[in-house]
Amino acid sequence: MNETTSAPLEPLIRLEHVTKRYSGVEEPAVRDLTLDVYPGEILVLVGPSGCGKSTTLRLINRMIEPSAGTILYEGEDVTKADPNALRRRIGYVIQQVGLFPHRTIAENVATVPRLLRWPKKRIKERVDELLELVGMDPAIYRDRYPSELSGGQAQRVGVARALGADPDVLLMDEPFGAIDPITRDRLQNEFLRLQGELRKTIVFVTHDIDEAVKMGDRIAILREGSEIAQIDRPEVILTDPADDFVENFLGSGAVLKTLTLRRVRDIELAPMVTLRRPVHRGQALQAMADAGSSTAVLLDDGDHPLRWIDERSLNSAGAIESAGRPITVQVQPEDTLQDALSAMLTTSSGMAVVVDARGRYLGGCTIEGLASLLLHTGNGNGSA
Amino acid sequence: MDGLRSWFEYLSERSDLVFTALGETMVYVVTVTIAAGLLAVVVGVSTRHRPFSKELSLAIASVFLTIPSLALFTIFIPLVGLGFVPSFIALFLYAILPILRNTTSGLDSVDPSVLESARGMGMTPRQTLWHVQLPLAWPIMLAGIRVSAMLTVGISAIATLVAGGGLGDFIKSGLARLPLPNSLEAIWTGVILSVLLALAIDIALLLLGRFTTPAGIRGKSA
Amino acid sequence: MTSIAVTPSRRPRRSLSAWTSDQLDLIVTPFFAAILAILLATVWIYSDIDDTTSRILEPSELLRQTYQQLYLAFFSTVLVILVAVPIGIIVTRESVPRIKDSLVSILGLGQAIPAYGLIVLFFVWLGSGPTTVIIALATFALLPVLRNTIVGLERVDRSVIEAGKGMGMTGLQSLTRTELPLAVPVIIAGIRTAAVINVGMASLAFLIGGGGLGETINAGLKLNRPTAIFVGAALVALIALLFDFFGGLAQRYLRPKGV
Repeated sequence: MNETTSAPLEPLIRLEHVTKRYSGVEEPAVRDLTLDVYPGEILVLVGPSGCGKSTTLRLINRMIEPSAGTILYEGEDVTKADPNALRRRIGYVIQQVGLFPHRTIAENVATVPRLLRWPKKRIKERVDELLELVGMDPAIYRDRYPSELSGGQAQRVGVARALGADPDVLLMDEPFGAIDPITRDRLQNEFLRLQGELRKTIVFVTHDIDEAVKMGDRIAILREGSEIAQIDRPEVILTDPADDFVENFLGSGAVLKTLTLRRVRDIELAPMVTLRRPVHRGQALQAMADAGSSTAVLLDDGDHPLRWIDERSLNSAGAIESAGRPITVQVQPEDTLQDALSAMLTTSSGMAVVVDARGRYLGGCTIEGLASLLLHTGNGNGSA
Repeated sequence: MDGLRSWFEYLSERSDLVFTALGETMVYVVTVTIAAGLLAVVVGVSTRHRPFSKELSLAIASVFLTIPSLALFTIFIPLVGLGFVPSFIALFLYAILPILRNTTSGLDSVDPSVLESARGMGMTPRQTLWHVQLPLAWPIMLAGIRVSAMLTVGISAIATLVAGGGLGDFIKSGLARLPLPNSLEAIWTGVILSVLLALAIDIALLLLGRFTTPAGIRGKSA
Repeated sequence: MTSIAVTPSRRPRRSLSAWTSDQLDLIVTPFFAAILAILLATVWIYSDIDDTTSRILEPSELLRQTYQQLYLAFFSTVLVILVAVPIGIIVTRESVPRIKDSLVSILGLGQAIPAYGLIVLFFVWLGSGPTTVIIALATFALLPVLRNTIVGLERVDRSVIEAGKGMGMTGLQSLTRTELPLAVPVIIAGIRTAAVINVGMASLAFLIGGGGLGETINAGLKLNRPTAIFVGAALVALIALLFDFFGGLAQRYLRPKGV
């Protein structure tokens, strides 16, 4: 077992020599597991089907009772305490979401605060706050019903509901598993952004190593019986797998996966020549010459990038507005280097435009910038 | 149309008898449905986690429905005499199965992920039952109550054979007086009013269902 | 959802909780029948049977009535099946749309027609005697049996039919080779239901001179002899339970292999 921690903090959650046996089954689902979860981190439990990762997760909030061992929460032994009280302090998100179909979105999100008997006004404010937080306009969605939502929207509400009473801990069991890849990607990004603001302690279960690498501050690779094969930061595991099991689980392309660990915001953005309408051909050419660049970006009034303009297309006839090529791919700071690389490869210039959450131009990233960042990984500072 | 008119005349001449019979039948329907409903729901709820008990109670309730109506109405007479009581007992035993079966299947039909998330949020089993399972199972349970009520109306006609009253009285008196005048009208009265009453009760319960079903799940009855 | 680790060393267990109500039915029904039989025997042997009662309960009388009841039940069941099954099949053909839904709803409403009233009406139209009773019983049983047949035929897995069509089966071939065999359990269930209903309703045959054990019950009621009432009622119940039990066995053991 390989464990490195970034700081000597007290674990928020500790499973100590926890075992779970099911009657009639010889092998325990969880065998003598000791695991610490530190405050503010996302710990991902990942492993093949049947390894016991979901069982381990559900031991933490005692949805499953341990056959042996101790569960400590904030230093307190909660192995025998009232499970319902414990669960009201922990947020729980599952793959199928499990929203109450007979209650409105607002009522769903308000579930735990109501169980804790918060005053009505506070509940209402909290619900609105949470819906905003997960990107769903309360005015529109408060009074809708779960049947009216798409899969992605439902899971957003699921997360909001889990955050209802502002728990310190969130347990998430393959939360994005039932969602299409495009939406899943978006939800993962948004969730990471949320975590940046909220700094919860999260235990996250997935069977997808790519998701684990993307989401986790630390990853625990689990074997059968929930035995920890390796637990460490993603880049350490990727570059230095502990044994054959881990290596096989990572699959080929582990090195390339490090591309998914860094974000675009870690790259030095290259300033590019920007042009705003209305602009003359002559001005444009001059600006490009001054900057020593043969490419410029055309922005609109709201700073949204519209087109790539290069010298050659300027020299041919036609208005500036239709010179060059339209910008179809944009990259955000939260996107991984892998996304950026894909974007850069689709433009023949090897550059991609970086925009903020509202689509406004921030800068450009180049292959050179990306390569220089990768070259300086090694004793990396971990993903944000 | 002559027949219809003569029937209406027949009814209006005997309106007090008609209302009495309707009333008696309604008494059966209301008391039986409430009693059987309470028992069925209690049994259904308490056996929801015990498959064997659940299946056993379903099997027992369905045996009652297997026993022919005349037999069930009369078999308790040596113990309880004639009239309302044996009729009530028989109708009560018949009414249990539809409600029980729909209660158990309704509770079973709740999406397991909804139950999982309720438990994960810290709801006690009783809270989950009351706030989640029962509201979601209610449309199905109500469908069972409707079947039960209609069954009761239909079978209650037999009560007349054990002096239990109800719309069957018309059929009996009609049969006895054949082929005297108005005997046919009497028989038709018994039959048609039974059907109409059943229809009315069914519609009333349907409307009740509309009002009591939580908005998010309307349109999802059994 | 969450997966529980299941390793190859797990032993399969037949636990009590695996019993379904259909299986339990095959135990509960004979159990109740046995209780009834015991009660019947007890009453027969130990209660005071005066002259009137013993005349009512004359064994040859009871036998005759039982025979009548079975006779009526048998023929009305045959009649129901001959009518309900073809109608059910026709109505579920793809070329006959829509009707089946409204039919099923109407049939549901038919539950509310009192059997008692139906028998009397048939008497008015067709006179007295066994034939009338048979037709009345068949009509009464038609509703549930037809509903079951329709529902059962509809439940036949669509993909199996598709596969058959894809292989070039005609409608008739599809019917005889695929749908009917798969629907056999449903049809047997229908026969069982019909038989149980009819054998029970046949106890009302006495109302219109059709005989049956209802005569004993009625005699008991008229002459105020509780023992006779009980014996008659218990016999009727016993017969119905036995029919149900054997019907259940048929359902269980007569299904085509693999269904």
